[in-house]
Amino acid sequence: MRKYRQESIKVVDFSDLPFWKKTDRKDLIYVGYGLIILTLVVVSYILGALQFLPHDPQEINMDLLMAPPGTAGHILGTDFMGRDILSRLILGIQAYFLPGLLAITIALVFGTFVGILSGYWGGHIDTVVNYFSNLVDSFPRLVIILLVVAAFKPSMFFIMIVVGITNIPVVGLLIKDKVLFLKQKNYIEAATALGLSNRVIILKHILWYNCRSVLIIQATLGLAEAILIESSLSYLGFGVQEPVPSWGNMVQAGSNYLMQGNFWPSTAPALAILFTIMGLHLLGDGLNNILEWKRGS
Amino acid sequence: MKFTSIRPIAFTLARELVITALLLVGVSFVVFVILYSAPGDPFALLLQGQVSAVQNSGIHDSLGVPTTWYGQYLSWLGNISTGNFGTSIRTGLPVLAEIVRVAINTLYLTIGAMLITLAVAIPIALMSARQGTTAVTWPLTIFAYVISALPVFWLGYIAIYISTHKFGYFPITVGYSSSKSLGFIPFLLPIAVLGLGNGTISEVVRYLREEMERVFAEDYIRTAVAKGGSIWKHSFKEGFLIPITQIIASKIPFILGGAVVVEQVFNWPGMGRMAWQAAQDRDYPIIMGVVILAAVIVRMGSLLQRVVYVMVNPRASQE
Repeated sequence: MRKYRQESIKVVDFSDLPFWKKTDRKDLIYVGYGLIILTLVVVSYILGALQFLPHDPQEINMDLLMAPPGTAGHILGTDFMGRDILSRLILGIQAYFLPGLLAITIALVFGTFVGILSGYWGGHIDTVVNYFSNLVDSFPRLVIILLVVAAFKPSMFFIMIVVGITNIPVVGLLIKDKVLFLKQKNYIEAATALGLSNRVIILKHILWYNCRSVLIIQATLGLAEAILIESSLSYLGFGVQEPVPSWGNMVQAGSNYLMQGNFWPSTAPALAILFTIMGLHLLGDGLNNILEWKRGS
Repeated sequence: MKFTSIRPIAFTLARELVITALLLVGVSFVVFVILYSAPGDPFALLLQGQVSAVQNSGIHDSLGVPTTWYGQYLSWLGNISTGNFGTSIRTGLPVLAEIVRVAINTLYLTIGAMLITLAVAIPIALMSARQGTTAVTWPLTIFAYVISALPVFWLGYIAIYISTHKFGYFPITVGYSSSKSLGFIPFLLPIAVLGLGNGTISEVVRYLREEMERVFAEDYIRTAVAKGGSIWKHSFKEGFLIPITQIIASKIPFILGGAVVVEQVFNWPGMGRMAWQAAQDRDYPIIMGVVILAAVIVRMGSLLQRVVYVMVNPRASQE
């Protein structure tokens, strides 16, 4: 996940205009593209979960090995065992989607909790939270995951719990900055002066009114990271194992044939990774520009 | 740059060294907890069922191993703080020497990759910070997004394919005998692949651009420009030097993580490949050593970043 600075807010008063005129057109393009990709991923996930696929992803067709895209019956061609690439790409989403959601949930829930604790109360809690966030930042993510893999031989869900835990400080710091920024604001002071309880101020005025967008942006970036971790691990041979498809192990298996000039079996999943991660990054950055920068104070 | 006094830097250095030491103790504790809670008991393996109740057999005492978890942690911590990381389960060689032998390769790879990342990202960031979104900078920004989203292992294979088929050399045996005849060229390919494909370029562009735009909008820059000064010179410290050191420090973990994959693609004999092999064999001492050494590298990076930050801005030492 990436970190944004919270104080770089451009105060632009466009309050009368509808939002699509207030925003930069390139941000709208980013978000539009990202939403298309996200919709495709979710729809494909549901199709895969319902086993609603153009072909059986495990069906081996020895007469049609490594068919190029556009072959009749196989829109995206076939891989080195004659299996339909489109079906395998759709089914490959199963490998990261639910585990990724788990990682996102862990990072957002605990990160928000930690951020509120250290931002709203500060003091010693803040010192402890800082220590732990530095501690988690000290581990290269893939290396600590390799340690966990060596120790537990875990499933993808377990790995994504680790990913979620390592993302807690990222979300925590964002929320903390936001809370520190908001604490100086008049309306939070007014809410305190009105005698509202901490619970109401935190849940309603800070989290719901002001941190929604941060959390949504972090969720999209978290999904991108889940894809990256899953595909890297599957590529390294620790994630999803053949014959169950995942984008990472499809690239890995296809790469054995790449040297002979058969690009497609490994390029198709690589392009899927490329377009999806790029879409999610653009969605996150575009949303950040639209929702965070131009809101003013 | 003018450095007013050495005191703030010495103060920061001392404080950051203490923090780094505390963090490394924390790192060792996390690693210990993960391995302690791992299933399987080395003593059960050692005895192979000859003794039914391992805990009560006195084997811990006779081998001098503490039975409590904190006793085990403290004795292990004592060992690693004197440089004794144990011996590899697979090869029987001392872990520290093995890791240090390959760590230098990983350092070449990661430092080179970092330079390539910065060399690609900085011009894009500076151009788009100065000119805004134009017909030149927008495609460049999109290019940065595309490059960052490319899976690095696929990029590595494509690079190998192109170098083999177009340029006629086979970079798969980097680091061994073949590198002698080819000089430094085989080293460049993995470095370039990791530098482009580590997935941080778009983030670096974005962060640096935001910082530069913020600094360009400051009053003192406007004054300097009005008086005929150079905008680059005046915004260098706050708009460039500090963000760059922050980026370098915060991206070291990502590049080390990417190195695991790239070393695998190119058979690069480094720490990442060693960690991969150790994870395959469940060779705990090796992977433990790699994790701790990687954490040390990351911590050194952020130590350096703090020192540069205080050098540029001595008031920060009071924070």
